[in-house]
Amino acid sequence: MAGIYIYSESKDLAAELVGFARGTGKPAILLTLDEKTAEELKNSCADKIMLITGSSELIENYARAIADLLVKEGAELLAVGATARGRDLAARIAGYLDCAMASDVTAANFADGKLMTTRMLYGGAVQQSEALAGLSVITIPAGKFEPVNGETPVETIELAADNRVSLVETAPIVKQGADLVAAEKVVCVGMGMDKAEDMKIAQDLADAIGAVIACTRGIAEERHWLPVEQYIGISGAVIKPKLYISMGVSGQVQHVFGIRDAQIIVAVDTNEKAPVFKAADYGIVGDMYEVIPALTEALKK
Amino acid sequence: MNLSSEDKFDAIIIGAGPAGSACAYTLAKEGRSVLMIERGDTPGSKNVTGGRLYTYALELLEPGLFSEAALERKVTHEQIMMLSGDRSVSIDYHNPAYNAAGQPPMSYTVLRAVFDEWLAGKAEEMGAMLVCSIKVDDLIEQDGKIVGVIAGEDEMYAEVVIAADGVNSIMAQKAGLISDIKKETVGVGVKEIIELPSKTIEERFHLPAGEGAARMLLGCTAGIHGGGFLYTNQDSISLGAVFMPEGAAEKKKSVHEMFQELKMHPAIYPLITGGQTVEYSAHLVGEAGFRGIPQKLYREGFLMVGDAAGFVINTGYSIRGIDLAIVSGIAAARAVISAADSTAVGPAYMKELENLQLLPTMKAVDGYFDVLETKWLYDKVPNLANDVFDSLFTVTGAVPQKLSKTVTGALKANDLSVWQLIKLGIKGVRSL
Amino acid sequence: MPKIIACYKWVADEADIRIDADLSVDLSKAKGKISEYDRNAIEAAVQAAAAMGGQAVGLTFGTTKARQSLKDALSRGLEEAIYINTEEANEADGAATARALAAAIRKTEDVSLVICAEGASDTYQRQTAPRLGALLDLPVITSVTKMEISGNTLTAVRKLEDCLQTVKAQLPAVVAVLPEINGAPIPGLKAVLAAGKKPVTEFSSTDLGVDLKPKSQVTECKGYIMNRKNIILSEGDTADKVKALAAALRKEGVL
Repeated sequence: MAGIYIYSESKDLAAELVGFARGTGKPAILLTLDEKTAEELKNSCADKIMLITGSSELIENYARAIADLLVKEGAELLAVGATARGRDLAARIAGYLDCAMASDVTAANFADGKLMTTRMLYGGAVQQSEALAGLSVITIPAGKFEPVNGETPVETIELAADNRVSLVETAPIVKQGADLVAAEKVVCVGMGMDKAEDMKIAQDLADAIGAVIACTRGIAEERHWLPVEQYIGISGAVIKPKLYISMGVSGQVQHVFGIRDAQIIVAVDTNEKAPVFKAADYGIVGDMYEVIPALTEALKK
Repeated sequence: MNLSSEDKFDAIIIGAGPAGSACAYTLAKEGRSVLMIERGDTPGSKNVTGGRLYTYALELLEPGLFSEAALERKVTHEQIMMLSGDRSVSIDYHNPAYNAAGQPPMSYTVLRAVFDEWLAGKAEEMGAMLVCSIKVDDLIEQDGKIVGVIAGEDEMYAEVVIAADGVNSIMAQKAGLISDIKKETVGVGVKEIIELPSKTIEERFHLPAGEGAARMLLGCTAGIHGGGFLYTNQDSISLGAVFMPEGAAEKKKSVHEMFQELKMHPAIYPLITGGQTVEYSAHLVGEAGFRGIPQKLYREGFLMVGDAAGFVINTGYSIRGIDLAIVSGIAAARAVISAADSTAVGPAYMKELENLQLLPTMKAVDGYFDVLETKWLYDKVPNLANDVFDSLFTVTGAVPQKLSKTVTGALKANDLSVWQLIKLGIKGVRSL
Repeated sequence: MPKIIACYKWVADEADIRIDADLSVDLSKAKGKISEYDRNAIEAAVQAAAAMGGQAVGLTFGTTKARQSLKDALSRGLEEAIYINTEEANEADGAATARALAAAIRKTEDVSLVICAEGASDTYQRQTAPRLGALLDLPVITSVTKMEISGNTLTAVRKLEDCLQTVKAQLPAVVAVLPEINGAPIPGLKAVLAAGKKPVTEFSSTDLGVDLKPKSQVTECKGYIMNRKNIILSEGDTADKVKALAAALRKEGVL
């Protein structure tokens, strides 16, 4: 069947991608390696689910087989959920097809027989639009499209696996910090803070307004004041809270990328020329050690 | 590349600013093996100037080199402005001869990030080696002689080590030739580079294309010993101020605040409005002139050049550092080239500094230090000047005062006596 | 002696990018640098070469501007470098880049391992390693935070969103590493001086015999400006500013 082929190991993301495909008016074919996922996606409104069976449990090992399948079926596009594994699989398939690929697109639509995509460069400072012709590959991050409802038949297909990479073991990551992605309010600590003990002023503010604590990449990866799951940025957490309040954050593009969809952005910093103020709805130029405790008091009332 | 034996150079120069690069250029030209070690990512990245360069120094380094140098505008307007509150009194000295055909112009405005990198590049073309982003941590001493440097885990040896590492030279301290800087001898300079189209600059300062203005500002430091400066570059303006720190600590305002006020002054703001600040920097500036030069500028195997040696002149109406740096770099190189053995290098260097007029020049303007120490120079004098002009030019229809009364009134308003002015005059005559 | 190839890219420093009023992107004042994440890839290759008794080789695909990168790369422990020098690198997309790199790798003997960063700091497409694996028909492992080589077996830990996945494969293989895999040390004085003496092999696109036309066409490239309220309180004392902010946030209904 020709159309848009879809894959994500996350069933929610897979459903969103079906929503994307439905939006284009083209047939949507969902690929999955997992029987349980196939079952859960029966209402995703795809034209069909192709449940892959084969000798490997790693989807990445089916890249060549999927590439051949896409050509055989006359597929127009492969859309993969932008996760670590999704990007890996997608790029391998693009390599076998030697075709165009746009990663982490912020927008994608067909026009004049080509796929027009938009994505970010330079950590979020620049937006680039591209036209992809012929069978191409894109990866789409979570939260860009809405799933739709509708019945979907399941069919099984056997594919050859490349078994050169084998799974040894899987260890779940125990998330130490609070869930940033779900948080409605976030208080963020930046490199302008002097010492780890000072994070108390951030915690007090967070407690006062019911927010979760986050930080910039340097705080997590260099200073190790918070676990790496708590840092916001293009290579970390990308979040959509109602309220984001930062202190001592200069506002580099890579960090701002992570909060660009926040409803209200508030920044507190001593440097009035800090880039964060250009990205903020509200800001106070001042010493965080004075401003934040005062703000905590004011917001407690 | 001039060859060196495995780990030893003829000279290792710490710092690839104008002093270091001029020294390296001269040595490499003579076929010596030279290594410049710069701690910034690029030469100039750690350096700040007002500022300008007096061209004679480039001519000394290599005649004609200035014509291909990375320089900004040829300065033909020398200006002094005295600020008092919202008011200002300006003097503009214009001399087209400073840019006469067939001669090197008197001076050029410069941007350090551009100029320093260019000059270090010229030294490399001559055969000097340059490494950047490496900090020299210490000197290597053997039998009372400096024989090399230590950077991280690496040791590198040389016949002579030349410290061109700027004001408050760590290397000079390591060599035991200076102790840490005294507060009174350095000021803090802050500066912004504000981008504007070159046509706009030419309109606002009434300049022909390629020419520039250099302006000293008095009265913008809230009475603290210090002053401001403004230089026109090709498509930007360098605006800044230097403050003696202990004066600044006494005041309520921070250096940053005082500088922002300067930018908003009605005489300054229209010159920079619409521009985009592309760089904000701060740096220490040697203020002691001749008196700030260390007792000894050398020891066996080691020389100091440029700011590290205190070669900065501040006469109040002009500040010179880059040209002196280049001249001292040349002097050091010549000393190394001519000296028969390592013990002769130091004395040869001192001789070259005399021959090239550097030390005599600094001695000759030493007196300015005393004059510039006069505390009330920085608020009362600009206020006085503005008050007098105010009285002269304010016409309300009332009967104008007698000039002598105007002047004495202004003196009184500024809590100055004629006697003080006379004393300053005498001091000036004696010192200068 | 096995060769371990570290792919790296010379990129414009994003800190120097200017966005003009009409949103056009001005790169003219941008200094170049080796993409940060590539420094970790180079270090990983150096460490792997030491473990395997092999040679770490740098590989880069760029225009003449990328020549400046060679000294920097060679000062980081690489023994030699391969430089694909062509103006076509300017227009290259993920497909063309992978084709160029694959061609150079095919011309190199005894390649045991190819290491890339997950993505370059400018485009961050994260396509190079998987595409190389496909073009060279080698096993690929991405998102690697830990690597161990024992004989001919590579065992790697992949950091995924919710788990750490340990996989293994036989060499030769292609690997994409995350920056947290190691701390790329800053080169010392001797390493920087030695870099100038190390060999560089240069290829033009004709030498490689590869078509470097991109598969995707760029239609527009403009600055991304956030449209925010930009109500910044700087004057006045802390109490007043905080009061005003608190009131505004209440009004916005985000508390």
